[in-house]
Amino acid sequence: MNKKTDVLVIGAGLSGMMAAARAAQSGKKVTLLTKGMGTLSLTSGCIDLWGYEVDNPKQPCGSPFAQIQKVVEQNPSHPYAKVYDVLKESLTFFQGICDKDGLTYRDNGGENWLLPTAVGTLRPTYLAPTSMAVKDLNKVKQIVVAGFDELKDFYPEVLVTNLKKSKLLRPDCELTVAHLKSGWKKLYATSLAHRLEQPEGQREVIRQLKPLIKPGAIVLFPPALGERRDIDVAGLISKGLGCPVYEVTNLPPALPGQRLQDLFLKYLKNQGVTVILSSTVTGAQVAGNRCSHVTAEGAGKTFTISAQTYILATGSFVGGGFDSKPGQIEETIFGLPINTGDGKWASGEFLSLKGHPFNRFGIDVNDRLQPVDGQSKVILENVLVTGANLAGSEFSIEKCGNGVALASGFKAGKLAGEVSR
Amino acid sequence: MTQKHDKHLILDNCIKCSICVANCPVVKVTDKYAGPKQNGPDLERFRLDEPRAVHPSIEYCSNCKTCDVVCPSGVNVSAMNCKAKGEYVALHGAPIRDQVLGRVELICKAAQIAPALVNWAANVKPFRAIGEATFGVAADMPFPRFASRTFLQQYKPKKINNPKGKVLYYPGCYVNYYTPQVGLALAEVFAHNGIEMVVDSFNCCGLPTVSNGLTEVAKGYARNNVAKLNSYIEKGYKIITTCPSCNLTLRQEYHELFDMDTVRINNETYDAFEYLLMLHEAGKLDTRLKALPQRFGYHQPCHLRSVGFGIPSLEILRLIPQLEVHNLEAGCCGLSGSYGFKKEKYPISQEIGQNVVQAIQEAGVTQNITECGMCQLQINHLSGLPIHHPIQLLAEAYGLPSYLPK
Repeated sequence: MNKKTDVLVIGAGLSGMMAAARAAQSGKKVTLLTKGMGTLSLTSGCIDLWGYEVDNPKQPCGSPFAQIQKVVEQNPSHPYAKVYDVLKESLTFFQGICDKDGLTYRDNGGENWLLPTAVGTLRPTYLAPTSMAVKDLNKVKQIVVAGFDELKDFYPEVLVTNLKKSKLLRPDCELTVAHLKSGWKKLYATSLAHRLEQPEGQREVIRQLKPLIKPGAIVLFPPALGERRDIDVAGLISKGLGCPVYEVTNLPPALPGQRLQDLFLKYLKNQGVTVILSSTVTGAQVAGNRCSHVTAEGAGKTFTISAQTYILATGSFVGGGFDSKPGQIEETIFGLPINTGDGKWASGEFLSLKGHPFNRFGIDVNDRLQPVDGQSKVILENVLVTGANLAGSEFSIEKCGNGVALASGFKAGKLAGEVSR
Repeated sequence: MTQKHDKHLILDNCIKCSICVANCPVVKVTDKYAGPKQNGPDLERFRLDEPRAVHPSIEYCSNCKTCDVVCPSGVNVSAMNCKAKGEYVALHGAPIRDQVLGRVELICKAAQIAPALVNWAANVKPFRAIGEATFGVAADMPFPRFASRTFLQQYKPKKINNPKGKVLYYPGCYVNYYTPQVGLALAEVFAHNGIEMVVDSFNCCGLPTVSNGLTEVAKGYARNNVAKLNSYIEKGYKIITTCPSCNLTLRQEYHELFDMDTVRINNETYDAFEYLLMLHEAGKLDTRLKALPQRFGYHQPCHLRSVGFGIPSLEILRLIPQLEVHNLEAGCCGLSGSYGFKKEKYPISQEIGQNVVQAIQEAGVTQNITECGMCQLQINHLSGLPIHHPIQLLAEAYGLPSYLPK
């Protein structure tokens, strides 16, 4: 069977969903195909653009835009250099989609936020959902960290011990550990979230926390304050306690990333995007420098999809877009060449602040996100590459993964929308 | 096409990202289930050496297969869980209730002696209370109603001159015994489009049997079904299903669970709307459809999602003028076949289903459609609203008998 569409987006991560949303806005018939749920649900739920100063990688940066501008000037092969023209526009587009569905993403007046993590470090990030955007951390008189005894992967003592070391807090800021009991044998982030959506669950938490709260306090929770967007769990608990409450970023599974994923998938379907889950693109038919169709396999049965434009948002190694064997690496659908720099894969030091070369591996593209070969010649003119598939960034050190995904997805969707029928 | 990959390799593909746990509908609402990752790939590693490495909480897996769908690494988590459940039952036995509920085929055949009497008895409250106290069958979950005559008894093949295609319809237990109108509407649609349709008697696909851990019984069904389906395929028939769970089981589960060769069956088996979509793409589908100025909510069954080719029924229904179908997008309905009929699982099943209730309210729809019979039952129970199979709407739009209540 062959399915026809205007734009085929392969992959349901942040860049794929942005591409689908933007292409749909241009009136294109869009199909989004993904083999798994997309790893956006495993992310923090915050949007990072750039974390630390280019010249001093230990120093969190104020304005990420100033750093990105520097990167674009110094390093034209960085993915930001290909999408810088649409970066701000893509952020506005993203915030608009989230806002419309009641999940407001807040910026910090052009500067990065410094938000507490589950291990008590401060994370520089550009956009945070209201439930995570801790205001004026430096003025807070008491921070109560609420953990649940039955929940794995969140230890309030660790958070408190490390956060105490931060010079950002008032010297007299009091840090309090609260061990809450849920009455369940064990909790996952999702079951805790579900429980906190029930009035009984909220009462239980408020009753246990209230005696610990002093004037000027805030409460930090694991990122599990509800899953549904129609119940404002953070707001309800905050009202009950009479002080602000926030979620901190934590290991997956966590709800903020999941809420974002859920919101986007619903948004896309409401825009008429056809979403095919649990299906893997296994190969492509190429004629000259154009792709004519791709082959997809769901539950072992194959079908083909033909489109005007194909957006490759398969997410390098983690998403399964690249496959690697010792000394060998390939892009799995089109067999596009992968720029591996000087061929060195790893730095000697595991936690090196220079990062690891394999993180920079990826597909070289031109300003229109078309894949190009070593001589800058376009390989496939109707294939656009986005997100982690792009060569030249070290997302784990630079904290640019979300920003590159947003802007490249947006740009690919916009370009796909301009293709005439 | 390729059959699923080497099972050890699949196990090694698990990177412990927990996305299956994060999306598991059961984990969300109860602490009785250790989760798909723990029961699946985590313990599977031990089971390679020691098949008895099974956790008792495995009985709380509802086999909705959401874990398979969301996994970005292609790990067949649910197959590991199904095998583990079978291993658990082989070691510890299954309660009589599960042995009966798992053998849907036997229940249905027995009920055929007097369907009206069974329907009456199934709704007598004191009987249900005794059933719950004695056997653990939830008194509040309504049983589906047996049709007075099965689909196979009612169906009369139509002679098609120069057919555009020939198909064997595998109705599955639900359509055959409970909702024959679905199969009858399908027969009308196929005949109208010049497709020759034949039927035969088959075993239950075995999915309810697998879900209750009765692996050996299911394997017997599978062997019979595979042999018979292959004999039709050899004669040039395509296999058509209207039940997503039967479809998934024939195409994928026999291979994954029992290592059977189902390459040909997989290639030649189609969901009814998948087949119609194929006709449409070939320009062979009659698209002269009358307007249906109505609004429906659509629920995608988990097992249709799991098959991985999108929602073909919505693509076909889009051809009907003025018909508005709102995709509810609410995830699992919670019933999962016999799961929600069990006393201890009924509250879990109802809690999971609240997402569907909420989506129906938000959408403001007063009638719904879905392909799966069990989803139909649950959504009707949760919402009190009428619900049908999408093929009935298509028959209606053709002006054919649709067997929709007037």
